[in-house]
Amino acid sequence: MKRTKHYVKLPSYVVLIVAILFFIFPIYWAVATSFKEAKLAFSESPVWLFKTRFENYKVVIFERNLPRFLINSVIVTLLSTLLTLALGVCVGYSIAIRKIKGGNQIASWILSLRMVPPIVTAVPIYLIARRLNLLDTHLVLILVYAFMNLPVASWLIKSYFEDIPLELEEAAIVDGCTYSQALVKIILPLASPGIAATGVICAIFAWNEFLYANILTGNVANTAPVALTAYATPVGILWGEIFAAGSLIMLPVIVAGLALQRYLVRGLTLGALKE
Amino acid sequence: MKLIKPSSKRKLKMLPYYFLLPPIIFLAVIVVYPLIFSLKLALFDWNLINLREREFVGLGNFLRLITDGSFWNSVRVTFTYAALATSIEFFLGLLLALIASQELKGIRFLRTLLLVPMMVAPLVVGLMWRYLLNANYGVINYFIKHFLRIIPPEWLSHPSWALPTLIFVDVWQWTPFMFIILLAGIQSLPKYPSEAAQIDGAKGYQILWHITLPLLRPVILVALLLRLIDSFRVYDLVYSMTRGGPINKTETLSWYIYQVGFKFFDFGYAAALSWVMLGITMVMCSQLFRVISRGTKEQ
Repeated sequence: MKRTKHYVKLPSYVVLIVAILFFIFPIYWAVATSFKEAKLAFSESPVWLFKTRFENYKVVIFERNLPRFLINSVIVTLLSTLLTLALGVCVGYSIAIRKIKGGNQIASWILSLRMVPPIVTAVPIYLIARRLNLLDTHLVLILVYAFMNLPVASWLIKSYFEDIPLELEEAAIVDGCTYSQALVKIILPLASPGIAATGVICAIFAWNEFLYANILTGNVANTAPVALTAYATPVGILWGEIFAAGSLIMLPVIVAGLALQRYLVRGLTLGALKE
Repeated sequence: MKLIKPSSKRKLKMLPYYFLLPPIIFLAVIVVYPLIFSLKLALFDWNLINLREREFVGLGNFLRLITDGSFWNSVRVTFTYAALATSIEFFLGLLLALIASQELKGIRFLRTLLLVPMMVAPLVVGLMWRYLLNANYGVINYFIKHFLRIIPPEWLSHPSWALPTLIFVDVWQWTPFMFIILLAGIQSLPKYPSEAAQIDGAKGYQILWHITLPLLRPVILVALLLRLIDSFRVYDLVYSMTRGGPINKTETLSWYIYQVGFKFFDFGYAAALSWVMLGITMVMCSQLFRVISRGTKEQ
């Protein structure tokens, strides 16, 4: 019995290792290139061993103003995530805790907005924002990202709220709490791990978003991914700098994502599988 | 419950509706109004030439797209992209999930590593692969030249290779997503049906085909639906890798609407195209939804 198992397991490991090399190697190569001397990025045969240099990072940080765009990304990501969570809690509370009539239809309608392709709303939102002088502001991206994330967030918060035993709320009411107080003091603390995980998922989506940011910002409120597109100049593509900036954009997300991978799966599947 | 004062009971009745107001108003302002505005816009000819005045053309914009070869090309490209990317991701994801659902040492760590690609911004992914696939200094082409001893094509500028290359990159980024959802699904399945079948002498592939996959059906459909929606709207990869070229071979619907709206400033026509795209998406999703709900009821 044991021997046959070994036969099955060896090919399994081989397939998995090959798959992981395939999925990880490009990222390794991009990050490694960011630490190479600029001209090594154009070397015809791959350079495996190199002296670690930080020139590319110095250039993107001090000459290309990347910190400014990263700060834009942080502002937009943070505020849109907070807005999404606040609205998501409102949806979750009335539908999962108070179980209002027609709640499930409203929840389904909100979830169905997840299907609207971004380019479809981008055209009218661009024109409306232009008329309201909101183009190239943080506000317009904050609002749009809150919309983008709200379907998934409400669905997730709803599912976390459904796991809360309502006897605890009732007890608090009996002790003299109002319903709003019970929400703040009992329900939110109980759901806080779930809400925090939802926040991280929304933040990842907002941080990585490019289409709306590209269309709705110009040169003031540009997020980091939009700023990155300027590195492909007519003269040539500055690979070292692109990957230095790219690493600064992707590494915080990878760290956060890996730390919360368990929640990430639930979020990505809209809580369809309660893992 | 009878300990609750009548006044707070009345308040309780209204409270959830007050809570629903902010999200509903927000969605009305950010989504519903723009969509209605866009529908109105679709009935006008409004472009760079007559920015001041919008000319009412009724269904003119919709009639125009019927004879617009670029539009039909973008529909074809988008469907090809979405269908191929989603199905390849599904088969690879399922294969990896079946392998990883065995009891293997260190599987948690390996599984975590597989999650990394989907966390990288798609724009960065596109730039990364453009570098890796470069004909002169790309490391992938170096491997192909030296180990397979063939001269690789110019992946992104060759008319027949550009779209497959884009699909390949989508597969690279999102197979992990399929993998992790299917793995979670497999792990949440009850153990006894497959164990019982094993005792009855069923072979591995028979268990897979007759027990695992049918039980996994709802999960499979959710995964397919989510990937289909997202690959159908592809924009970032097109922007960072091909910009629709060579000769429209990678011009997806999102990219075409972007061109019409923000390069030619033909807002009325872009709005009409947007509504058609929304319509296609809705029909596609509602069909899949029907399959999903039927599948879940059977369970």
